[in-house]
Amino acid sequence: NIDPESLLPKLPDPNELRPFPSVCATIYKGHEGRIRSLSIESYGKYVATGGDDGTVRVWEIVSGKQLWRIRLSSSEAVNQVSWQPSRETCIIAACCGEQVHFIVPQGEICNPEQDRRSREVLDSGFGYAASNATKTAAGVDKPSSANWLRPSQTLQDKGVLLTITLRSSPKTLAWHRRGDYFSTVSPSTTSTSTAVAVHTLSKHQTQYPFRRLKGLAQTVCFHPSKPLFFVATRQSIRIYDLQQQRLEKQLQPGAQWISAISLHPLGSNLLVSSYDKRLLWHDLDLGATPYKTLRYHSKAIRSVQFHPSLPLFADASDDGTLQVFHGNVMGDSLDNATVVPLKVLRGHKVVKNLGVLDVEWHPREAWCVSAGADGVARLWT
Amino acid sequence: METSTTTAKVKIHLTTRSEDIQLPVETGPILVPTELRRYQLSTLVNTLLETVQPVPLEFLVNGQFLRTSLDEYLTQNGISAETTLNVEYVKALIPPLHVASYEHDDWVSAVDVLSNSARAAQTSRSDDLIPERILSGSYDGTIRIWNMSSEVVATGAAHTAAIKAAKFLSPTQVVSAGIDRTLRLWKYDDAAVGSASTLTATLELYGHKSSIDNIAVHSPSSRILSASSDHTVGVWSTRKNDAPAAPESLLPIANKRRKLSNTTQRPQRGPLSLLSGHQSQVSDVCFDEKDATVAYSTSWDHTVKTWDLTTSACVDTRTTAQSLFSILHLPETGLLATGTSARHISLIDPRASATVISAMTLRGHTNAVVSLAQDPNSNHQIVSGSHDGTCRVWDLRSVKQGNAEKTGESVYVIERDSAKGRKRPEAGDGVKVFGVCWDKDVGIVSGGEDKQVQINKGSQ
Ligand SMILES: [Mg+2]
Repeated sequence: NIDPESLLPKLPDPNELRPFPSVCATIYKGHEGRIRSLSIESYGKYVATGGDDGTVRVWEIVSGKQLWRIRLSSSEAVNQVSWQPSRETCIIAACCGEQVHFIVPQGEICNPEQDRRSREVLDSGFGYAASNATKTAAGVDKPSSANWLRPSQTLQDKGVLLTITLRSSPKTLAWHRRGDYFSTVSPSTTSTSTAVAVHTLSKHQTQYPFRRLKGLAQTVCFHPSKPLFFVATRQSIRIYDLQQQRLEKQLQPGAQWISAISLHPLGSNLLVSSYDKRLLWHDLDLGATPYKTLRYHSKAIRSVQFHPSLPLFADASDDGTLQVFHGNVMGDSLDNATVVPLKVLRGHKVVKNLGVLDVEWHPREAWCVSAGADGVARLWT
Repeated sequence: METSTTTAKVKIHLTTRSEDIQLPVETGPILVPTELRRYQLSTLVNTLLETVQPVPLEFLVNGQFLRTSLDEYLTQNGISAETTLNVEYVKALIPPLHVASYEHDDWVSAVDVLSNSARAAQTSRSDDLIPERILSGSYDGTIRIWNMSSEVVATGAAHTAAIKAAKFLSPTQVVSAGIDRTLRLWKYDDAAVGSASTLTATLELYGHKSSIDNIAVHSPSSRILSASSDHTVGVWSTRKNDAPAAPESLLPIANKRRKLSNTTQRPQRGPLSLLSGHQSQVSDVCFDEKDATVAYSTSWDHTVKTWDLTTSACVDTRTTAQSLFSILHLPETGLLATGTSARHISLIDPRASATVISAMTLRGHTNAVVSLAQDPNSNHQIVSGSHDGTCRVWDLRSVKQGNAEKTGESVYVIERDSAKGRKRPEAGDGVKVFGVCWDKDVGIVSGGEDKQVQINKGSQ
């Protein structure tokens, strides 16, 4: 005569799981049109945003002051911005049209040492490419699929120091933790073999590791410590060992169209968001199907991210809200993760059926920043 | 029996420290109905004083403001109505009224005041009357000095990015700092009449690797402290000859273009020391009001640190539950008021003997508390500036003892005059306050996102 209810694990009270973001503290205003992407630099002091107006802007995170901006295009949107994950440099990678720009923001955002180091990092590949050009010229006639070039002097004076032109528009850019490798995904390319590219910044090298990729590539990410590379197509996720050049594992989240993925900082749990309103939690030590399916939104989910150090994650949806969850991952993986919904963050307006397009956590605080189709970004604390 | 409870009485002994509202010496304890509240007590004392114009009064019982009826007070504190209550009365603070607003081109990040009563005036050796001036620092990279007729009398534009902090060192010297990582000293020449006042940049201080967000000054010892995003507290001398050389790697890169436009080379110096220990950006710093060899700093790492400036050592660290954005030392109690990202002010006891970290919590702001200043007329009152678009005046005697903590409520809320009549915007959008200061002569001066310096004054 046991009450079945009593056997269910009791979820903790959200108030005992503080800190987590609950109110909007800052509204970043200035973009004309949708903000598609945002990135917080590693010290957590500045936020970069990019959007439909073709600009990249840098903001002081707490005051909301726009400190600097650059227009990369008058016709193309900036689809993604991402700070290079190194504290010695101050470089923003920005995908705009078919190009990836590497920008050292001006306006005293980086100090002279960071400025010097950033310029060295972006410059070193030109030397490598020049000295290795003769070897490839003697070998196979390789069609140049990615062009690494120094932009015009005008752009260089504004801080754009390196530009890669790809065959089709990259929509996602993911850095490897050490900041030399990064990967781009161009989902709309007609040739699936060039949809996913892995680039080496120090060598100005672009490789296409997948000759035949089943499905249409959506997004990618690198494992924080192992040579593993995660590739999400519309419906599945494949994990490759880059050193052994083999497929390690394949995940079937059961989603119709994956929008984003986020790997837990410990590397053994993966969040998958989908345009079909579902958020999926995969424990990589378990099977190919999700450990948990979370349905908390009435519209497509566009972005999801684990907090880099706190037991939190958040997603962003076209319903105009963000959902914040507590998600505690145990190091020994014997205990399964507890997931507790904590807070719905409301404030973004839905414009033409689009709501919140991106979300990112502060590196240390229980704060997140969201980017909206309503043209504003918001800090939640 | 019923009649006796409705007319319950208590004996009170009324005292005050204000000379001009003393009761006649022969006034002994008075028997009053326990149902009396602040307003009725105020009327009673005014009647006893035979005031022509009633003086609004507040009443302190055991150091706390009476916020209920006497009866409720007795019940809550378990005091018998047989006791004679000692009741101190003080003049109620008059709500600070809007005096003027000074329009800027960009967001105002910092404010300071020069007046005869201002601390910067105490370094003056001359007997001349010091004119009232307001110093403002703006995100446009410029510092400005204003007279009391809303006119800019001098402008300083040497910084290469937004200003985050600016203070008078003396009636003739100013220091500013900001996102360009430098502190700059300025000579200020005040032309009593006309518009011939000048701000001349005299010294550039290099050493920080990231934005400087706040500064503290102590003129008698020629010291400046800086709070930087690079996780350190800078200690600097205001005297060029005492300061070490500037670190070469942090000087602006000799760019051909810049060189041409920036031909006048000002002297450049480095820090006396950089205090490291914080794990994240340092948000604010202050001197101990009684001992200028001691400093306190707040950081995004959730801690308050105490520094011995003689040895450059961190001697104490207090950890709280949230990022801290501002700090103020209260000399009377030895407490530190800290403004937090979690929308409240926490009063922290930094002394080794303290058993509780947070002595009191002041609640009411709805966004980050980024600036704090002491009432020059009272040891009990402070003002705070917040990203919610308000300044709030707090009286530390206006507190409630809750289950877990002592909490205080603000006695006055100062709204932005620029947003008069409109609903306070979400997240203080457009009206965030970034800096506040309180001068005996000029009043409460604040600056913010509305590009205004706003002056409020109580008519005490
Ligand atoms: Mg992102």
